[in-house]
Amino acid sequence: MSVPMSGKPAPGGRPRAGLMLGLLGALLAASCLLSLCLGPRGIGLGTVFDALLRFDGSREHLLVVTLRLPRMLAAVLAGSALAVSGAIMQAVTGNPLASPGLLGINAGAAFAVVAVMTLTGGASGVPFLWAAFAGAGAAAVTVYLLGAVFSSVHAALGLVLSGAAIATFLTSLTSAVLIFDQSTLDAVRLWTAGSVSGRTLAEAVGTAPYIGLGLSLAFLLGRHLTVLSFGADAARALGQSPVFWRGAAILIVILLAGSAVALAGPIGFVGLIVPHIVRMLIGVDYRWILPFCAVGGALLVVAADCLGRSLLANQGFPVGVTIALIGAPFFIWLAHNRLRSTA
Amino acid sequence: MTQPSARQAARKAGTLFRKKPRPRPGSGAADRLRFSILCLTLALLLAALFAASLALGDVPVSWRALAAMLGGGSDVSPDARMIVVDLRLPRVLLGALVGMALAIAGTISIAIMRNPLAEPGVLGINGGAAVGAMVVIVVLRDPPVFLLQASGFFGALALAAAVYLLSWRGGTASLRIVLIGVGLSALTGAVTSLLAATGDLAAVQRAMIWLAGSVYDASLLKVERLLSWLILPAALTLALARELDLIAFGDGTAKSLGQPVERVRALMILLCTVISGAAVAVSGLIGFVGLLAPHIARRLAGPVHLRILPVAALVGACLVTAADLLGRLVIAPAQVPAGIVTGLLGAPFFIYLLWGRRHGRG
Repeated sequence: MSVPMSGKPAPGGRPRAGLMLGLLGALLAASCLLSLCLGPRGIGLGTVFDALLRFDGSREHLLVVTLRLPRMLAAVLAGSALAVSGAIMQAVTGNPLASPGLLGINAGAAFAVVAVMTLTGGASGVPFLWAAFAGAGAAAVTVYLLGAVFSSVHAALGLVLSGAAIATFLTSLTSAVLIFDQSTLDAVRLWTAGSVSGRTLAEAVGTAPYIGLGLSLAFLLGRHLTVLSFGADAARALGQSPVFWRGAAILIVILLAGSAVALAGPIGFVGLIVPHIVRMLIGVDYRWILPFCAVGGALLVVAADCLGRSLLANQGFPVGVTIALIGAPFFIWLAHNRLRSTA
Repeated sequence: MTQPSARQAARKAGTLFRKKPRPRPGSGAADRLRFSILCLTLALLLAALFAASLALGDVPVSWRALAAMLGGGSDVSPDARMIVVDLRLPRVLLGALVGMALAIAGTISIAIMRNPLAEPGVLGINGGAAVGAMVVIVVLRDPPVFLLQASGFFGALALAAAVYLLSWRGGTASLRIVLIGVGLSALTGAVTSLLAATGDLAAVQRAMIWLAGSVYDASLLKVERLLSWLILPAALTLALARELDLIAFGDGTAKSLGQPVERVRALMILLCTVISGAAVAVSGLIGFVGLLAPHIARRLAGPVHLRILPVAALVGACLVTAADLLGRLVIAPAQVPAGIVTGLLGAPFFIYLLWGRRHGRG
């Protein structure tokens, strides 16, 4: 099953696609600045620049650097990582429902977090991140190995099915713990809704190199992903080794989505919708899809976070909920209007 | 496990399944005999699970007493009778019915969506029911049972209707239904997690137990109602099994074979919603059965839906009954909801199925 999406055949030429990418990048920069200015105490653009460049320890500068900057960075990092890894997943599996969550990444991270909290009575900061990342990575590697071993002939389908199985298994385990342990439920319920509030600069900066590495590797892989998205047979016919490149792609997904989920919780919906929207806009060439996804995903998460904070005047409002509230109707509209009826 | 269309194409190409094509089902007496034996075996397994569920538990009842009770004997202690007839029997029956319903609904949705992952939840049924139940539990704290069930059922119905209507654009298409289902499920998921993140902690925990799916709150009245609700749609599905075979081949093929694809798809979605919505309303979200049972049934009975449907129903009944039994026994006196057990045990089993596929037995 390929991913028959938009009616548009080609990205419409490099200059146009490049222009659109530049436009999206400008929008992203603007919303990042907006995110730094917004809050219960509005801070002017000049003060924000001062805080970033000439930090003087005043109350407002502290507010920007310790509260709003980490939050904005977390949103940008998580958004771009999830969107790119979602695009890779859909290319690799050829299933339009594929998202990083399908590798068991969300379920693995959630289970690891819940297990660590139940056993140790609480965790926060960087150890918490490592627990989530380790859980996500372990689950994803298991899913990949199972998919590869158990279904050598039709590996994409095997991956999808074993992912569903492992994710269900871990989710059941998590809810079994939560049903009996009220204090852990209380501690993780905000995280499971997906939230970027209360992140520290150390957490955001600590994750950045991993996500940066993952993104650059993904961009290098663009051409091979396009070939992979045609399906294993076509890839082989074109002289590509689908097994090798599929493995490489999955490793990148683990790196990207694992870090993102550790940072912002399971806001996997970004990884599902952004690639679809991008494909509807610019076509099937992954050399363009991936950068568009990176910018678009970051834009979606930052904008959703700004909107949730300003409209609801609640700084703790989980961004995962806002994303779904904005993203889902848009996604439905696109699917309704742009999808060819002969799919 | 694959959609028939893909399997058909692969068979022509001779790459995916190297084994010889199965003889056309229903073409021989031996084949019919094999199917009867299969059904009989599953029915016996279900009966054994029934007996075990009635006898085992916090207060074990001896097999002899159980036999006497079911035979109408009078030399049984009233306590044991109360435990078996009033507590365990409704629960076992309800579990089996829910399992059948989920399996039939899953078979329908996998066939019409042509996606091996399309359990009824894709139609928004689970999400709708979850929001309905969650709102009632978190807002009212201690809602009456009938209100909880009604809100679950109508939530499921409303979401399924929304998915169908939104994907209507001079006709529907499987992929559009799936994508819009995903979009709406994300919306309902957001509402659910918002309620979970902000609601009263004890209420949220109760809602989580409901979401995990269990049949602990059973009564004979519930069983009767569910049964009378399910009979008609289930019979209709079985009568239209042939249409499922056709539509699973793809819109183009089905149309050229003379099927009114849109009408069939609409009817099938309605049946799927009515069946699984009712199951979800009484038991919560017992996951994985709607996915696992159809896949097992396809492995056992071949690709014809007239045979998949009854086998899937039996398999689903066995799965939920066994899961509930295990959930009651494992860490007694605490009870693990059946939905958690199906998730924990169903997943490795599903992987085992994949393993079997690799060795060309399916």
